Amino acid sequence: MLKGSLRTALLSLAMITALPSCSSIPILGAQIENPVTAARTLDQQAYAVLDTYAVLVEEATKIVADPNVPITIKRGLGAVEKVATPAAQVVESALAAYMRARADFEAASGQSQTTLARAADALSIAGQRLSQAIAAASPAIAELQTLVHGAH
Amino acid sequence: MPNLLLQLQLLLAALSALLPLIPADFRAKAASFLDLAGRALSVSASVAADVSDLADRLTDVRAEIEAVAAAGRAVTGDEFDAVMARITTASAAFRAALETAEAAAT
Repeated sequence: MLKGSLRTALLSLAMITALPSCSSIPILGAQIENPVTAARTLDQQAYAVLDTYAVLVEEATKIVADPNVPITIKRGLGAVEKVATPAAQVVESALAAYMRARADFEAASGQSQTTLARAADALSIAGQRLSQAIAAASPAIAELQTLVHGAH
Repeated sequence: MPNLLLQLQLLLAALSALLPLIPADFRAKAASFLDLAGRALSVSASVAADVSDLADRLTDVRAEIEAVAAAGRAVTGDEFDAVMARITTASAAFRAALETAEAAAT
C-alpha cells in the first residue's frame, strides 16, 4: 500500500509539470490541482512551476523526517530532489534573464527602431530559453521517478 | 482513505487485546504479525495525510495563479525571489532530514 501511495504521489509530481493540459489529477481520493494550467503567460507559468516545486519539496521533507517511513523510500525521494532542484534553479536563471529582457524591451519603447528591434530579439530569445527550461524540468522529475521505482 | 486506515488501526488494536487468549505457541507469531501490520498502517496513514495536505496546498497555489492570471498582471521580482528562497530553504531542510534519516538507519 505504501509503495502504491508513494508511486502515485510521485507520479502526480511528474504529471503536474509534464502534462500541462491536465487541470487536476485524482490521488488517494483527493483531487490534486495542477497550478501550471492556470497560468496564462510565460512568467506566470514559470512561477507556477517553481511554487509547485517548493510545495513538493516541503511536503517531501515531512515524509523524510517521518521515522516510520522506510529508508529506501527516503533515498528514492533524495534521488528525485537531487536532480529536480537543479532543474528548478535552471528555470530560475532563465526566468531572471527573461525578466531583464522584458524590462529592457519596455524601456526601449521610446527609443530608436534599431534599439527596439534589438530588445525585441533579446526578449524573444529569453522567452524561448525560459520555455525550454520549464519543459526540461518535467522530464528530469519523471526520469528520477523511474529510478525510484527501480530502487524498489 | 484516512478514515479507512483509522478503522483498520482500531481493528488491529482490538485484535492485539485478544493476544493473551491465543495459544502460547502462536502468540509470538501473531504479535509479530500485528506489530508489522500496525507499522505498515501507520506509514500508510502518514503518507495519505501528506498527500491530502499536498492536495490542499496545490489547490492554494492554483488559486493564487488563477488570481494573478485573472488580473492580467506580471509576476513580480519579489514574488520570484520569495519562491526561490522557499525552494532553497526547503531543499536544505530536505537534505538535512535525509542525512539524519541515513544516520539513524546505519
